[in-house]
Amino acid sequence: MNRTNRRKFAGSAAGIAAAMAAGMPSARAASERFAAPAVIARQDGPVEVVFSNIWGTPPGGDEPENEHPVELLIDAFNEQSTDVKVTGRNEGGGYYEGLQKLQAELAAGNPPALCITPWNSINWADEGLGIVNLEEVAGDEVAEVFSVLREQVVPLVQVDGLTKGVPFAFSTPVVYYNADILAEAGVDAETLFSSWTGFAEEAPKVQEAIDGNPVFGFLGDMQWTAQSLIQNNGGFVMNDDLRPVMNSPEAIAAMETIAALDREGLYDRSTASERRASFTAGSTACWIGSIASLGGLRTNVTFDLQTSTFPPFLDKPRNMSSGGSFIGMYAREEEQQQAAWEFLKFALSEEGYAIWMQTGYLNATTFDLPTLEGQEAAYTQLEEGLTRETPWPGARGGELLQIWQDYVARIWANDISAEDGCNEAVEEINAVIG
Amino acid sequence: MATTRTSNEMQVPARTTSRRGFAWHRLIEGATPYLLIAPLIFLISVFVYWPLFYSTYLSFFDWNFVRPDKAFVGWDNYTRLLDDPRFARALHGTWIYFVALIPIQVFLPLGLAMLLWPIRRAKSQASYRIMLFSPTVIAWSVGAVMWLWIFNPLQGLLNKLLAEFGVERINWLSDRDTAIWTVIVVAAWKTLGFHLILYLAALEAVPHDYVEAAALDGANNWQIMWTIRFPLITPTFFFVLVTTVISVNEDVFGAINVLTQGGPFGSTTNIVYYLYEQGFQYFQIGAASAVSVILFLATVLLTWVQFRFVERHVHYG
Repeated sequence: MNRTNRRKFAGSAAGIAAAMAAGMPSARAASERFAAPAVIARQDGPVEVVFSNIWGTPPGGDEPENEHPVELLIDAFNEQSTDVKVTGRNEGGGYYEGLQKLQAELAAGNPPALCITPWNSINWADEGLGIVNLEEVAGDEVAEVFSVLREQVVPLVQVDGLTKGVPFAFSTPVVYYNADILAEAGVDAETLFSSWTGFAEEAPKVQEAIDGNPVFGFLGDMQWTAQSLIQNNGGFVMNDDLRPVMNSPEAIAAMETIAALDREGLYDRSTASERRASFTAGSTACWIGSIASLGGLRTNVTFDLQTSTFPPFLDKPRNMSSGGSFIGMYAREEEQQQAAWEFLKFALSEEGYAIWMQTGYLNATTFDLPTLEGQEAAYTQLEEGLTRETPWPGARGGELLQIWQDYVARIWANDISAEDGCNEAVEEINAVIG
Repeated sequence: MATTRTSNEMQVPARTTSRRGFAWHRLIEGATPYLLIAPLIFLISVFVYWPLFYSTYLSFFDWNFVRPDKAFVGWDNYTRLLDDPRFARALHGTWIYFVALIPIQVFLPLGLAMLLWPIRRAKSQASYRIMLFSPTVIAWSVGAVMWLWIFNPLQGLLNKLLAEFGVERINWLSDRDTAIWTVIVVAAWKTLGFHLILYLAALEAVPHDYVEAAALDGANNWQIMWTIRFPLITPTFFFVLVTTVISVNEDVFGAINVLTQGGPFGSTTNIVYYLYEQGFQYFQIGAASAVSVILFLATVLLTWVQFRFVERHVHYG
């Protein structure tokens, strides 16, 4: 290679360096799925709006019986509506992928009219994404439509008294267990899950029945279940001023409970996907996750799957957290907003909500709708009262959630003591909040 | 145009060509290369240099692409990185990946290529190449499913095999001590084949005359490989080295994303994954831009060091 060629090579290498460094890995992370345009221009027909969500019929599942209830809901609305047509857009992946795409579309001035938004991101959606207050679109009609919702549900979608969306995917953590393993171990489920003390006493018997494997694991979003755990012991993750208080004696004691079970080899500290796979394969006996997973688990297991309420602490009332997501409105044009509101009203009608309930999420309304077998535990917790999932404050809420998530994982895996972990988490979160 | 006739009847421009006509000819001739590369320059400018400049600009603002107001924050996005323990963990991970993966991605395929070269005419050669190259074309999402089952602590193939030898269960992806090495193994598996093919192609291009001459002088296969073939493929070696140093931490991004998401406890994260989290999970565009600027400067520096100190050992022929 002569000098000129070397210069060319150097130039190419520098170009590649620039591309590598400047090009954030968004392209890799971006969904490769085909996506409908966010806003479909109106011609002479109905106003068309896009509902961006994380559900949808899986690839190849074109048969009607495989359609996800969200698609059935949209179909039912479109059949009875002549002025508005809703197009569902499945982002796949999860909430963050959906929000990522929403943000890009907002930046381009072409957002979907409606987008599923996790409860824990309500402040960020309000401060950072300009979510539309429903009162601005529908005025007093909001209260009328929301009158079908359970009393404790409405505040979950309100910030400063204004309604930020429709409570829709409503869940709470429950215990799923393999009844076959418990029967083999001779352990009574009611005793096992009566309290964390009872669990610590009975779980070693279960462990023997599964060749010394860990007995239980949590879903991936461990900070969500940690919130319930702490609340059940009388503590909180954040106070009313949205400051971290997870280093209270109650919170530290609650976190220590799981760490102690880990030291006995009872807690499955593998990755989120591994924990769920181990449970569905029958290698572990219990998995603590959202009630919304009921349908999916049912189709994936061959054993007798049962559910139980979350174990409380002795002599303390259970105070579980809610979870899931609400439908947020992001349409910027009035015509789109009004059309989207028509769909939201249908979603909260008895007909619409009955379709949605096929998912396994909880009934957030007062409609008398049939429940799925296995949801009883979740409804017991709902009747006891649910606390809103921690709404992480400010534009850096996602970071705060992740900081706490990391400490939860470390504490439960005995990588750090409960006291040090909780104190460090408070310190780190306060440093970000400022 | 006035012409003069040469002895072999070819027409060439006359010395008496008008000054104006001559200038046009020279202009077109001189501009042609620039016109030919103009589309490429345009594309690189739009997709590389403009994002680079814009990222640098955004690194001085607090913005999320959506809010109408961009708040100028000066160097805050840079200084806040110094106080962020997760950034420190990301730098630590970056260093581990750098030290572990560069030898694996640069030297291991070189060694494999040299081992495969002597049997290049064998029928099994194609099988080896396909076997070693196929991970490169398999999507991360597909490969990850396979690896997740291999590494599963309770049902995984690896732990089942090790259990036969009395090895206790290992949490490959959720133990701080093993997770990063597991990610390194998977990243190496994915990228090994491409460099192997480059080395094999380079070995193929070594002039046979040199090899024959060395053989006539009594050099054995080992001597021919190290004194003839390797020096002649050093341009390819240098290319692989430079591009690996540039891309090693981005190559491992896929493995981190599908296997551990940076965990457990941030032990497998690196600067590229940190950038991704800041930009696309936390929507902190200013902070993400600051990280990308730092990454760019570090990459340019490392590339310069290689050209300054390594290139002198390259034989361009």
